[in-house]
Amino acid sequence: MTKKILYVLWVILLAGTQVYAQTRNITGKVTDAADGAALPGVSVTVKGTNTGTQTDGNGNFTIAVSGSNTTLTFNFIGYASKSVEATSTRLNVSLTATSSQLSEVVISGYSRISKKDYTGSAVKVTSAQIVNKPVQSFDQALAGQAAGVNIIQPNGVLNNPPVFRIRGFNSISLSSYPLIIVDGVPVFTGSTGNSASNNPLGDINPNDIESVDILKDASATAIYGSRAANGVVVITTKKGKQGKTQVNYDAWVGINKAFNLPKLLNADQYVELKNEARTNAGLGPGFAIQKDANGNEVSTDWYKVVYKTGLSHNHNLNFSGATEKTSYFISTGYSNQESFIKTNSFERKIFRGNLDHHLSKSITIGTNFSYSNTLNQGPNSGSLPGQAYNTGGLARLPLVLNPNVAPRNADGSYNITSTGTLGLGANTIANNYPNALVLLDLDKYTSGNTNVIGNVYGEWQLVKGLRFKTQYSINKLHTANTSFQNPIAGDGQSSNGLALNTFQEYNRNDWTNTLNYIVDLGKNHINALAGYEEYHTTNVGTGTQRTNLADSYFNNYQGNFLNVLSDATTGNFQSENGFRSFFGTANYDFDKKYLLSATFRRDGFSGLSASNKYGNFGGGSIGWNIAEEGFFKNSKLGRIFEDLKLKGSYGVVGNVGVGDFASLSLYNSGLYGGAATVYFNQAGNSDLKWETSKKTDVGLTFGLFKGRIQAEVDYYNNSINNLILNAPQAPSRGIPGNTIAANVGSMYNRGFELNLTSRNIVKGDFTWTTNFNISTLSNKVTALAQGNSDIYGVTSSLETASVTRVGYTLGSIFVVPVDGVNPANGQRIFINRFGQKVQYNQVGTPSKWTFLDGSTAPAIDGTLDGRIAGRSIPTYYGGLNNTFTYKNFDLNVGITFSGGNKIYNGTQATLRDQRFWNNQTDILRRWTTAGQVTDIPKVVYGDNYSNGSAIPNSSNVQNGSYAKLKNVALGYKLPTGLVNRAGIASARVYVQATNLAVVTGYKGSDPEVSANGNSNLAPGIDRNTVPSSRIFTFGLNVGF
Amino acid sequence: MIATKKYKYTVGAAMLGLTMLLGNSCKKNLLTPSPTTSIVDSKAFDSPTRILSQLNGLYAGVKNGQFYGGRYVIYNEIRGEEFIVNKPNGVTGLDTWNQNVNSNTNEVVNLWSSAYTAINRANVFLVGLNANITKVDAATANQYIGEAEFLRALSYFALVQTYAKPYVADQGASPGLPLRLLAETDLTGAGKNDLARSTVAQVYTQILKDLDDAETKLGATQANGAFRAYKNTAIALKARVYLSQANYAKVLTETSKIITTTAPYQSPNGASKLESSIATVFNGSYSGAEALLFLPFTTSDAPGTQNQLAYYFTSGPGNGEYYLNPTGIYANDALSGTSSTDARKGFITKVGTVNYLTKYKTASPFTDYVPVLRYSEVLLNAAEAYARTGDLVNATALLYAVRHRSDPSFVFDPVAIASQTSLVNTILTERRIELLGEGFRLTDLQRTGQALPAKSGPQGSSPSVAATASNYIWPISGVELQTNKLMQPNP
Repeated sequence: MTKKILYVLWVILLAGTQVYAQTRNITGKVTDAADGAALPGVSVTVKGTNTGTQTDGNGNFTIAVSGSNTTLTFNFIGYASKSVEATSTRLNVSLTATSSQLSEVVISGYSRISKKDYTGSAVKVTSAQIVNKPVQSFDQALAGQAAGVNIIQPNGVLNNPPVFRIRGFNSISLSSYPLIIVDGVPVFTGSTGNSASNNPLGDINPNDIESVDILKDASATAIYGSRAANGVVVITTKKGKQGKTQVNYDAWVGINKAFNLPKLLNADQYVELKNEARTNAGLGPGFAIQKDANGNEVSTDWYKVVYKTGLSHNHNLNFSGATEKTSYFISTGYSNQESFIKTNSFERKIFRGNLDHHLSKSITIGTNFSYSNTLNQGPNSGSLPGQAYNTGGLARLPLVLNPNVAPRNADGSYNITSTGTLGLGANTIANNYPNALVLLDLDKYTSGNTNVIGNVYGEWQLVKGLRFKTQYSINKLHTANTSFQNPIAGDGQSSNGLALNTFQEYNRNDWTNTLNYIVDLGKNHINALAGYEEYHTTNVGTGTQRTNLADSYFNNYQGNFLNVLSDATTGNFQSENGFRSFFGTANYDFDKKYLLSATFRRDGFSGLSASNKYGNFGGGSIGWNIAEEGFFKNSKLGRIFEDLKLKGSYGVVGNVGVGDFASLSLYNSGLYGGAATVYFNQAGNSDLKWETSKKTDVGLTFGLFKGRIQAEVDYYNNSINNLILNAPQAPSRGIPGNTIAANVGSMYNRGFELNLTSRNIVKGDFTWTTNFNISTLSNKVTALAQGNSDIYGVTSSLETASVTRVGYTLGSIFVVPVDGVNPANGQRIFINRFGQKVQYNQVGTPSKWTFLDGSTAPAIDGTLDGRIAGRSIPTYYGGLNNTFTYKNFDLNVGITFSGGNKIYNGTQATLRDQRFWNNQTDILRRWTTAGQVTDIPKVVYGDNYSNGSAIPNSSNVQNGSYAKLKNVALGYKLPTGLVNRAGIASARVYVQATNLAVVTGYKGSDPEVSANGNSNLAPGIDRNTVPSSRIFTFGLNVGF
Repeated sequence: MIATKKYKYTVGAAMLGLTMLLGNSCKKNLLTPSPTTSIVDSKAFDSPTRILSQLNGLYAGVKNGQFYGGRYVIYNEIRGEEFIVNKPNGVTGLDTWNQNVNSNTNEVVNLWSSAYTAINRANVFLVGLNANITKVDAATANQYIGEAEFLRALSYFALVQTYAKPYVADQGASPGLPLRLLAETDLTGAGKNDLARSTVAQVYTQILKDLDDAETKLGATQANGAFRAYKNTAIALKARVYLSQANYAKVLTETSKIITTTAPYQSPNGASKLESSIATVFNGSYSGAEALLFLPFTTSDAPGTQNQLAYYFTSGPGNGEYYLNPTGIYANDALSGTSSTDARKGFITKVGTVNYLTKYKTASPFTDYVPVLRYSEVLLNAAEAYARTGDLVNATALLYAVRHRSDPSFVFDPVAIASQTSLVNTILTERRIELLGEGFRLTDLQRTGQALPAKSGPQGSSPSVAATASNYIWPISGVELQTNKLMQPNP
């Protein structure tokens, strides 16, 4: 279909340019390198002459050449150009399709427009960039694929939602996660799991996705009005193509390992170091080597208790095809993935059916429908937002558990104390952490989704060019979370066993009606759309916690327990919200040279105050296709540039991720013993209105050397005003939560983006294509609430290592500065707010804090002495993707990079803590003798200050820049002749490696980390999270 | 034929459109849904029942696990010398035990916030009740107002003792607290963020003003159970407040209202008195006459994770976070003497080589009621005030009243009760025995100007803290310092 349109275009553009000369004729056929299909309309020219022709409907051509000119050049939109020497009169050529951006279509969800005529800023990620990757959700696969899109995979927990940012952080208190639209359905995002991570986007099969259009500027996103501030991601699923039925089977198997674990002390080193610390604290030794029954030293590698090699496999089967009246795409997928973390797994079963049918010439109906069933299982990894300090968090346990104690006793029973902590072994000092083995064996967490995403639509062409479309969509997401915590060790011990089951139902229905008019009046081209949309969302949760197991026999929620609790803290909630919107957009161009676009949307949202429910949003853009100008075409530049477009846009969009009843003052009800209570629980704001984001974009797109190089450069400026801020209230006011939602504060995100695609080499059987994209980001907070009070970002409710302050980047790292270690006495030197050096001695008396002369100093204070130690948000990021093909081989090498930021490596504080915790081997360079210059203080037992556990300090702030070999894939296409005999149209096998290597100055496990997930206020924190995974896969793609 | 077909499709499309229209559209309240699980402010004081629930909400605020429902009591114990840290966990008070907190330590931030939240609930309630005063009868309204004032006073008293210098250090001249007495409900309302600290003396004045008024308004008997304040509760708290000001005459003014002049010592109306057995008082769910105010818990209304007294102080059912310091009051013969017949020895349980306090012992979810005010404290307050004002006879009698309840045949060494000084010391020691684990040790040290003693255990040691040291009191919450521009940090 597309080919036919291109053919027609080509004929129009090139009609009359053919010149016939008398010498000899060369005939041949041009085919698609991928599937061998004939390509009609391919331009064939004799190099260095004006002689040219194009292929006919069957891909055949005949061209006359003179004796000295024997090289033919083949050009076709959407394919790589190719020059071939004509050595005989018969010449067959195959062309390789490229993802040529300029010739594509931008899909906004409500309408589509040719990229060439598009004046907004949008980037398309194609199916090829997403499929076959060992991910759970498509968003994970977007890393490094598109300018302006930053993806951070927080760690290796399966189905953990990535940090997903389009052009920076666009809110402070609300979400900065983009709006995700799947076939016109605004779907649920976020995290709905428990300790088993659950990203509802994992309910979409990456293999079903045809394209992902990422809309970035106001012109592109304004049609989504109040939901557009964080950018919009429009997903289009696959449709059947005309021709015979296509059957595809794709599968991969993979193994998954922990990447880059910190090296820990072994049992001998541990005993020696900790006893040294006790001596330094004036205490007797407390640690000793234990011998087992055979006289062997007990030495436990707790990593081996917690981690393993995970095995995964993934299968997809789809059928597609189309007749003139009907197209269909039916798919099914099964994915079963294991993490390197024991008991962490992801299983997805999914079905999709897409159908479009022309009832008549003017009426089309269709549906896109998917049903998925996903089951996430896992231990408490301690690696999801809020879990960093969970006593039972499995990421931290291997770092702190004594390596000289065995997980099991000689008789095979668990080595635990009566309170469930790891047994003492030969040590005499109590441990307050549970035995990790027991948690892995006995605790269970699951989070399962049943997710239906679908729509039905009807489209009616009223008169030529005028179409009415109505679409009804649903997203029905049911999540069932179950957990069981055992009664002998870990989080369930003090409750004598605990089970918590919650059931969440999220229902959204959306009804959209649009009227689209496309008309060409001479050289004036108009594409206008008007629409009405309303959608309604309900959120209902039901949950009950059972504690105090009746009998140790029981190991699930359904077994008998003595106590039952069901209230708001156990997952009971009910709320709803609604949107009512009117919108319109118009694109106009004159002669394809001068482009104009304007969009307006009026949104009403139930969550805002009574007088401010409606808001108006809109954007406009202009563009100039310089390459279409006659003077340019005839200039020298015109021969180099095949495309050159200048564009600019401005608009105002909104962000409204506020609570459903955020503007109201509310009282909740609870209990006081046996009596009911009602108490003030939310201070409302009757003036609460939309948060607005003013977005400016100026860009240039161009194509050089007949499509060999294509590039897009943008400058953007997102200026956010009326931020809906949870304005900090002085705690002494006693306002619940110490915040009130208010429209205060402002912030900007600015930067440049470059997306460059170059077909470096296209020679015979060898091609080399490079895509390079880079984005810069300058983020600054310019105003906050009343008096510009700082807003602290707190990691897992315990550690404040982030601050949002006017004049600085959102969520900057906030720590007490240190000045190394005093060579005289091995004490950590801090710098207080007055610039004075203060050293810390855990056993100092009368004061632990002294100036360097030994006189008593005021204690270092995390708030008062804290300073901003750098930005946690990268200043640049991007990707470098190289694709090589040689004959039947293809190789893809994907590198992602990011930098300019600092990371607060709180995990390092854990690894150097001087309680009974185990330490990283770098502790061996601790200060031991006077005059020694080192960066690690003298070890003193019980010291949780010097290395940053109690107060974050700058010794744990590290450079976060990195380049990562994210993905390497080598494929081989089996010879067509060979597979055809087996009844197979095409077959490809490949091997792929993910996270092979990282180049960084960061000292932690992985600089791509976010212990607080998608938090705006505390990004760039590494705190007791599991590492990321290194994955090797072997895969197969078969077409029938 | 073609025309018919076209018509059919058009009808079909129209039907489809209509179905969608009926199925979804035009929800009338699409943009104006009402919350179903919260009550909007305009309806918060609609009925007598709801107003009573609001009153209960004030108690629930004070009972928050970060405050009187657990942690406040725990902090006052572990800052003293009676307990040794066993589990070196930053979440369960390690830095508090180490006397090493700073302005953004969770204990410091959360206690400050939860106490002020409780105060604001009282302020909001007083405004709301006044606006709906006709919905309840006058006596009930008075009782409610008295209870709100009592709880506000209790909360301010906890805060001023934690975050400001002891009154006795300089007769209250030091910076105290921001006194928030207005209902804080919105951004630009009465309060605003910035409010300077009143002096310690001004805070005490406000506390006593609230308690004086509460005394006149509260009912004379424990009509509402041990979980709500009545007249004697307010009087008892007043005595405690005066004691911390070292205003012993006033202590006696108050205690004499609720202690008869002769044995058996009890309140004149009999509403408040000692239980015959202290074990009964700590059965986990006591609500008898000794309870002037106990905070109740149930399995549906539990203290919350890592806030529970039994979780901290016992090893089974609790987590063994802190055990008794062998050189603390545990060393007293009454608690550890092999021949001691003192009933309070029964609150100590040996696990392994160390001893745990098992006054609170109810299994998970650790629903032991938290004692806020009980009658034996009133007797000891009075005894101390008598002793310090020279009335050794009455002081000794009240001391014996407490001691003999637990050890009826006990006779004090005459030397220990002979002089004023020794009698005061004996009474202070009796407080440590009687009130162990109830959150008095820190404030008793501070109101008598003593250093916080050094202590040492397997997880490390904590040096003595002089009364002049900066960590003798807690720093002001760092969040308050950031948001309240008039707030002064502690030196």
